Amino acid sequence: MAHDAIDSHQLTKTLIRLQAGTALLLLLMISCLDLFFPTQYALKAAVHGISAISALVIGTYMTHRAYFLLRGAKINYQSLRNWALAATMLNLLGAISGNWIYMRYRGQDGPRDWILQNVPDFHNVLMEFKEFVSLFPFPLMVVVCFTLFYYKDQIHLRHDIKQFIAIIIMVSWFFLMLGFVSGLILAKLRFV
Amino acid sequence: MKTDKSNTEELDTLESDTPLYSGPVIAASLSALLGLLTLVVTHHISRLTKGLDKLIHSYGYWMPGSTGTGPDGSIGNYSGKETLALLVWTATWLIFHYLWRKQDFSLRAWTPFFLGTLVFLMLGLFHPLIDPVVLFIAGLFGYAA
Repeated sequence: MAHDAIDSHQLTKTLIRLQAGTALLLLLMISCLDLFFPTQYALKAAVHGISAISALVIGTYMTHRAYFLLRGAKINYQSLRNWALAATMLNLLGAISGNWIYMRYRGQDGPRDWILQNVPDFHNVLMEFKEFVSLFPFPLMVVVCFTLFYYKDQIHLRHDIKQFIAIIIMVSWFFLMLGFVSGLILAKLRFV
Repeated sequence: MKTDKSNTEELDTLESDTPLYSGPVIAASLSALLGLLTLVVTHHISRLTKGLDKLIHSYGYWMPGSTGTGPDGSIGNYSGKETLALLVWTATWLIFHYLWRKQDFSLRAWTPFFLGTLVFLMLGLFHPLIDPVVLFIAGLFGYAA
């Protein structure tokens, strides 16, 4: 009796895409619904949330790609370059929109004032940590992007460089998660 | 993920006409670390005195929304810290890239240092841990609170 299995390569590819797509769609709802919140800063909040979530999901997808780099597998570098560029641009958008919403956070009777009055450690420790750690993924992804574009397909000949950028992709994801979770905690505590 | 044969077959025959150096990737990653270090250092400096806070802030005045009051607020001295970090990152990247574009370094040796520095920088932003250290160093320069 034949035991026909699905092509494992095709199955992996489909499942990775499905996981990232589902996560993106569901997580985006967290921020898309900000647009209907009763505040005049709803647009700023939504733009920052959407860019942060998109950066996190693409950053997560990039970690899947990083495993192939770590293993030294043959991969489509053109595709990886495009994804790295997209991830970098989303990180940049997250940082710029972060500045935009940060203005209201610091504004008169904004979340900072409320937090300092009620639970000061959430500003003095968590926010002061989050506002800088959230900037870490952008330069890290720039390094990845630069390396992939600079060495082009010839990077395949240098396994040590491939391993290094795979590690940076993983580290970038860690900082993305750190920034995202702390941002979510602060938004739950006091919305703009 | 396009890993089908048509896309990867040519990788088997890939040969480098010129040697591939690791210098550019080291230059890019070291300069990024220095940019992030600038963020951490300027953050702690700006917390020492009002004068230093104003000085750091002044580097960010070019940024829209860097100053202002009222409900809409402003970015404040964060704009100056970002500006200085960007300046250090860009300047050091250009210099290191030019110097090391045809140099080969051990990435195996560099990776632990790179990761260790990132962890150090991250912990350097956690106030309960780093504040006593910052105050001790500041005290040596006469800035003790």
